[in-house]
Amino acid sequence: MKTLVTEHLTKRFLGLVAVNDVSFSLDAGEILGIIGPNGAGKTTFIHLVSGILMPSSGKVLYKGRDVSYTPAHERARAGIARTFQLIHPLENLTVIENVMIGAVFSRGQSLKEARKSAEGICESLRLGDLGRDTASLSILEIKKMEIARALANGPEVLFLDEVMAGLNTDETRQMISMVKAIAKERGLAVGVVEHVMGVIRELTERVIVLESGELIAEGPYSEVSKNPRVIEAYLGGAA
Amino acid sequence: MKRNTLYLAAAAAAVLAAALPAFLGAYPLNVARSVMTYMALAVSWDMLLRSGQISFGIAGLFGLGSYASALLVLRAGMDPAMSLVFATLFTGALAFTIGFAVLRLRAMYFSITTLALAEIFRIVLHNLHDFSGGPEGVVLPGVIFGGDTRALYWLCLGGLAITLGVSWYFEKSKLHLALTAIRNDETSARSSGVDIFRYLLIAFTITSTLQGMMGAIQVQSYGFTTPETAFDANFTLLPLAMALLGGIHSTLGPMAGAVLLGIASEWLKLKIPYGHLVVYGIIIVLVILLMPRGLVGLARKRRTGRGA
Repeated sequence: MKTLVTEHLTKRFLGLVAVNDVSFSLDAGEILGIIGPNGAGKTTFIHLVSGILMPSSGKVLYKGRDVSYTPAHERARAGIARTFQLIHPLENLTVIENVMIGAVFSRGQSLKEARKSAEGICESLRLGDLGRDTASLSILEIKKMEIARALANGPEVLFLDEVMAGLNTDETRQMISMVKAIAKERGLAVGVVEHVMGVIRELTERVIVLESGELIAEGPYSEVSKNPRVIEAYLGGAA
Repeated sequence: MKRNTLYLAAAAAAVLAAALPAFLGAYPLNVARSVMTYMALAVSWDMLLRSGQISFGIAGLFGLGSYASALLVLRAGMDPAMSLVFATLFTGALAFTIGFAVLRLRAMYFSITTLALAEIFRIVLHNLHDFSGGPEGVVLPGVIFGGDTRALYWLCLGGLAITLGVSWYFEKSKLHLALTAIRNDETSARSSGVDIFRYLLIAFTITSTLQGMMGAIQVQSYGFTTPETAFDANFTLLPLAMALLGGIHSTLGPMAGAVLLGIASEWLKLKIPYGHLVVYGIIIVLVILLMPRGLVGLARKRRTGRGA
């Protein structure tokens, strides 16, 4: 059984169909790329899967269970974690407290246990000086903290929404190997939204392409990138 | 070490507060009671504020506690001390129920609705002549503890101690993480597994209960109340100004603000009997503009040499 499956997932905002009839699956140990031009519905898709938004129609199945209308915090507890594209680090909390939240509320750990597991996660991400305010963090550190926050939930499925955005080449390379290592070590099913195609090529075995909310192509990046429909979606009719 | 010093200071302050009646006469003790009441309200208001929800309903819950206690004595013949307990629980239970409705609202909508609640309670009690005494209010057979100034002081101190204890628990337990996470970003909190509604309901119920408790203590200490005194806007405005002045999102800030403004308000009431509320309004505006973190934030900034 696939870890995460969507069936004909659709989200309408009044007249706009942001996600249109998307069916896909994601399996444990797999890193899937989710690409598409701006406004294609990638983030909305992650919102639907993680429960931040509820679908207009269609289904989200997690380990065979229908979670289409399960509230976000319950999906987090069940094992679906995600990062956010627009990050709002919790400024009134330290780095370690930010990460602890997931351990406390998703895994039901005591503050003491949560601190310990959060320290472990931060160490594996090489995120140091955990007593700091988040205001002093660099972009790389903020992105790492976002991932640490998601991992603290103890997830089986992890969606990364543009965690490489704003990083330089070195940092991006560092992040790619880190994400790979984490996914392998924890046997995660990972979905990656990214605009940098180099990252997608390096990181993912398979990609799905969204355009105007519809899934227009699926397969390994090398194939998908040659697909005329994908090229047209990215470059417009002129290509 | 720093923590030990803090506990020591808290213990010393508690002993000093409890021993105050040995040194002070009736008038200063009454002022102290008023300060403690406002302090408890300011701290309880701040406790909910830590989740980002700005309540203007303090007076409503305070008045509700007052009336519940008074009516339990008058209409049910309950022992005054017992009525304190039941009025507190009643306010809590009602807040729990109301919470299901108002906690679906956010920001300005939440604030305005809580403000309206105070008015609704007041108007209902205003009009239930036979039950609540209507606009003339209610007069109890007597003041609790025979009106002994010291006993009343200790009763009020007890209410304050409970409030401070709960606030301390809020700061040290996982509630702190939950409420801060909600205040910062609800979406992010949800995806970390925080059941937002549940924690808001917990915070709203507990803080309302504390406000009702202080109202019950107040009415039993004075022996009478009217809709206008029990639901006086002062009970909303003053704690708010105190917490802002002292520094929000902490226990210590509202406490400091309550001491300063509480004593100042006694003086202001004498100087400008009908205009003192304006002064609180000006204080709120100035504090928000000039030192949004309040006195505690200012002190912290001075100590660490940077923005807190």
